[in-house]
Amino acid sequence: MADTQTPAIAVPVRHVFAIYWRTWFAQIRSIVEYPADLWVMASAGAVWNILQFAFLAVLFANVPDVAGWGYHEMLLLSGLLSVAGGCNALFWDGAWSTGAMVIKGDIDYRITRPAPVIIQVGSSHIGMQSIGEVVFGVAMMVYGWIGAGIGFAAIPIGVLAIACAAVIQSALVTALCAVNFWIKGQASIFAFLMIELQGNAMKMPLGIFPIAVRLVAMFIVPVAFINFVPVAVVTGHMSAWWLAGIPAAVVGSVLLAAGVYRLGLRAYDSAGH
Amino acid sequence: MSHSIAVDRALVVISFKRRLAYKSHWFFGLAIGGGSMLIAMVMWQNLIGSGTLSGYDWDSMRAYTIIGFVAATMVFGAADWIMADRILDGHIAVDLTKPVDFQRARAAEYVGSMLSTFPTAVMGVVAAWLLFQPPGPATPLAGLLTVVSFLLMFPLAFGLTYLSTLVCFWTKRYLGIMWLREALLSFFSGLMIPLAFMPGWLQAVAWALPFPHFTTTPSAIYLGRVDTAGALGLLAAEAAWAVGLWVLGWLVFRTAVKKVTVHGG
Repeated sequence: MADTQTPAIAVPVRHVFAIYWRTWFAQIRSIVEYPADLWVMASAGAVWNILQFAFLAVLFANVPDVAGWGYHEMLLLSGLLSVAGGCNALFWDGAWSTGAMVIKGDIDYRITRPAPVIIQVGSSHIGMQSIGEVVFGVAMMVYGWIGAGIGFAAIPIGVLAIACAAVIQSALVTALCAVNFWIKGQASIFAFLMIELQGNAMKMPLGIFPIAVRLVAMFIVPVAFINFVPVAVVTGHMSAWWLAGIPAAVVGSVLLAAGVYRLGLRAYDSAGH
Repeated sequence: MSHSIAVDRALVVISFKRRLAYKSHWFFGLAIGGGSMLIAMVMWQNLIGSGTLSGYDWDSMRAYTIIGFVAATMVFGAADWIMADRILDGHIAVDLTKPVDFQRARAAEYVGSMLSTFPTAVMGVVAAWLLFQPPGPATPLAGLLTVVSFLLMFPLAFGLTYLSTLVCFWTKRYLGIMWLREALLSFFSGLMIPLAFMPGWLQAVAWALPFPHFTTTPSAIYLGRVDTAGALGLLAAEAAWAVGLWVLGWLVFRTAVKKVTVHGG
């Protein structure tokens, strides 16, 4: 229907950020009105991470390593994955509503407003489980970092890795949620499929998987750059040169998300009522 | 109350047909469940190799993983959202006016939705059998008792799911509750890692909960890790949990339903 991304180009970046934060804080205000939900969701995120921690503790009580990766290194993998997912839920959870908004015609309202549609949709919800995910994910990372003996010098890499992981995760989820512009459905099944398989596979060292899986995770759907590559570099499993791939993955995934969303908005034909 | 078997049957069929209408569910159930199964297979093959870990060799771990896949497909693929949504959006007010027992009606619908996962489970098992050729059951009787264990999973899964959806009387959303339940189920059922790997105290905690009956019980029976008496004991415990959760669900509903407020009425 409409090329609804066009106004976004004309909107100053500062205005876009202002819109984003205003909407985001409005969500925060709405969340505190329902404390039961807040605590249930935060506990769900926390429990899930505690159980990931427990899984690794139990596993490593029985095996010395997994494909050459030790307990603390694997904690880093799981921790960074949780933080990335948590940041997605905290700052960009609205992307998951794309499918529902397309079906209900809710995108109509967003198109008429003077702000990029993708910003309005992305900031339209906060996943409260993110509180537990981020807190316990960071705790796993810190424990793994110290246990693996990585040291303070690599901390800037760790901080950068978290920021990049959050962006790549959010961008890939957005791109896959935007598939709902064409394949209609309430649930963002492609994005859900990605995070389910990512959650299972990427807490393991990539080396245990067949070459085809490794290639897909590195270059097709670059989930490996979310947690595996940065952790493999700081723990010495991969050459530092691979760090250059992380910003490339950030740029690639953001362009992919913006491109797919833009095409999706062009294909959007409202709800028909 | 005029709730009869015919009503139950009708609700099972409606729920079954409703789920089958969305054929993409089959594909994604298979993709998610099958993908998770393949990842688990790769991990255990890498870890176990030609040795054993906590009494599991590669042969038994293959069977264990496939049993876990079937259990996960049945439990995670069922229609818990329909139950939760009716509480959250207030449609429960309509349900309460119907001359059927609320819990029994939801159980019938839930069983129907669990049956709809059958094609996904069968396709996954056939593919896994061809790919991994797991060992058969320890004895024909063990195979039969494994089937009984899977059948008991229907009321057990309903009991757990029903209790968790009742929390929606106090919350505005269901997602977090579902995640909490699935996280606990994945870990304490042995789906994530077999209970035999866990320290004694953690195994005791797991066995004090209903979760092990979703993977550990059927796999222990199938692989002959328990004798016939042990298998019957596990099945009795599974049945007791199913009954206990039903009663608990009934008690909680009696309190929870007083929270129903629809449009201020």
